[in-house]
Amino acid sequence: MSALQDTARKLLNDGTVSVVIGYEAGARGVRPAFITAPDQADKLIFDKRCVQNLATYLNPRRKQVAQLGKAAVVVKGCDARAVAGMIREKQIDRNNIVILAMRCGGVLQHPEADAELTAETVSIRCAGCTAREPKLFDHLFGELPPEPPVNAHRIEQIAALERMSPAERWNFWTEELSRCIRCHACREACPMCFCVRCTAEKSQPQWIDPSSTPHANRAWQTMRVLHQAGRCVDCLECERACPEHIPLGLLARYVADAVERRFEYKASDDPSVAAPIGVYRTDDDEEFIR
Amino acid sequence: MTHKFLSHQELSSLVADLLAAKTRVIAPVRAKDDPEQIDYQLIQCFEEATFGVRLPRRSLKEFFLPPTEVLLHYKQTKAGVEIREVPTVAPPQVIFGAMPCDVAGLATVDKVMDWDYSDELWFGRREASTIVSFLCSAMDATCFCTAVGLGPESASGSDVLFTPVDGGYVANLITPRGEALLHNYGSKASDAQLATAQEKQRDARRKVEPNLPAVSAELGGWLASNFDHPTWKTIALRCHGCGACAAVCPTCHCFDIVDEHESADEGVRRRNWDSCQTSLFTLHASGHNPRASQSERFRQRIQHKFSIYPSRFGEILCTGCGRCSRVCPGGMDLPTILGELVNLSQAKPEVSGQ
Repeated sequence: MSALQDTARKLLNDGTVSVVIGYEAGARGVRPAFITAPDQADKLIFDKRCVQNLATYLNPRRKQVAQLGKAAVVVKGCDARAVAGMIREKQIDRNNIVILAMRCGGVLQHPEADAELTAETVSIRCAGCTAREPKLFDHLFGELPPEPPVNAHRIEQIAALERMSPAERWNFWTEELSRCIRCHACREACPMCFCVRCTAEKSQPQWIDPSSTPHANRAWQTMRVLHQAGRCVDCLECERACPEHIPLGLLARYVADAVERRFEYKASDDPSVAAPIGVYRTDDDEEFIR
Repeated sequence: MTHKFLSHQELSSLVADLLAAKTRVIAPVRAKDDPEQIDYQLIQCFEEATFGVRLPRRSLKEFFLPPTEVLLHYKQTKAGVEIREVPTVAPPQVIFGAMPCDVAGLATVDKVMDWDYSDELWFGRREASTIVSFLCSAMDATCFCTAVGLGPESASGSDVLFTPVDGGYVANLITPRGEALLHNYGSKASDAQLATAQEKQRDARRKVEPNLPAVSAELGGWLASNFDHPTWKTIALRCHGCGACAAVCPTCHCFDIVDEHESADEGVRRRNWDSCQTSLFTLHASGHNPRASQSERFRQRIQHKFSIYPSRFGEILCTGCGRCSRVCPGGMDLPTILGELVNLSQAKPEVSGQ
């Protein structure tokens, strides 16, 4: 980690950035760190417990972070997709951030976990990882580790959803979303939810009832996942935040797979690649509205 | 306080008899989606209950203040508006295996629910409930009940407190309601059983106490006079403002009231959980937000729990259950933060507000 710490120290020392957003040891495993003094840079760590997607803190809604000034951020290859997403959608200026990217061989499911990486302990988001070697960075750290073990839980959940009839799928999601208490923690923890005023908060007209009722829960989560189509980076911050333990990442992943099939697009770590939600093409299939 | 001994068999019979009498029975059970986790749930038979494994994911709050509940139905007619209120009398329910921290939370929230207005729905459910808490044996490094004046053996809010001993439980009968529940069950506890129970309670306390020293009474005063302390600028940097902490908190009780139309002339008034951690909570109609960033919102969370509520009601609005830390996706850890604030308050007792 000394290379990361050295770079962070140098960036703070020469005034390139005012804060380095990274990982440090906390009371419950690894926690996000906001290093503003060069002599604190040796707190920075990176290991398999670094589950959190720190790109979330670049989201302009994190005003308490934005007020610290220009930031460097530690990202894994997967997290870099969120940085790219925010650059693509003009939420952050590429020239106003420094990306400290880590080669990564997988993370655990929880930052407080303490275990070897196995098919049971590894995060479901690491299955099929294509981003061990980050492509979007200013500084790149670490040796390329071997591929992580595969936790097939999410893949099996997707396969099970695909085997269901539409009615069965409807019932499955109605049941899961019945637990939603409309706290909107999913939205708040999401790097890609940055609307200044979410539709769920608009009351004139009240597009979505704020109470936790079956139809309103469905309306809220449907709206959110459709707005995330082709934008979600599958970091599972929503799922980690949900106090009701709803598999929100599964919903988003199911939609992301549909976007990939129809538009040959996966959330990209290249900010110059346009996402389907922001593109108009005359050769679009549009078969669904015929 | 009187004591009884209940064998496992007698507890099982008691629960079976309650269920046969159609009483709602709530107990900790293994979560459907994750068998390692525990949820409080309505049970249909005694065998579903799983006692003493770990702290349930959510507190008991939702059985008294549901995340969403209907307050009234309304209908517009030519003559005016017809209002139909919901019944405030709740069906009887008995909670077994309640964690002392969760029960203490209910007793703490009673104060605000009976403040400027007595909340009929809250007290309707409180009065219909008998609560049997169990000595906590599920504490971990994030628990700090002893630091906020409670403990794994706390009886605050409980009708009966069970302490496991060989072959069953020693039951402390705390209220007449608790005595009535066990009237036909159990036998006199022996001196040896009482001694064992007391030793277990002391042991349990000793497991939690090292986690965090007692939060001093001075902290509330320090908080009140240090509203603009520089620590608030940095204390919540990692907080996303998602409010998951408030959802799982046994004492967070804020709610929002909304009218929702169900047809052109009919609708429902509901109240829903709300949280001071979201920006909408304090957003004015003008667009101004007095708590513009998470720094101010998290300060509010701490101020309300450890200064405002204690100064108004004499009790800290926190039971030390640690759920907020466990659920936080950003790694905010309340015992760590409290430790830091207590240090600040003791380092500079002379600092005054601006």
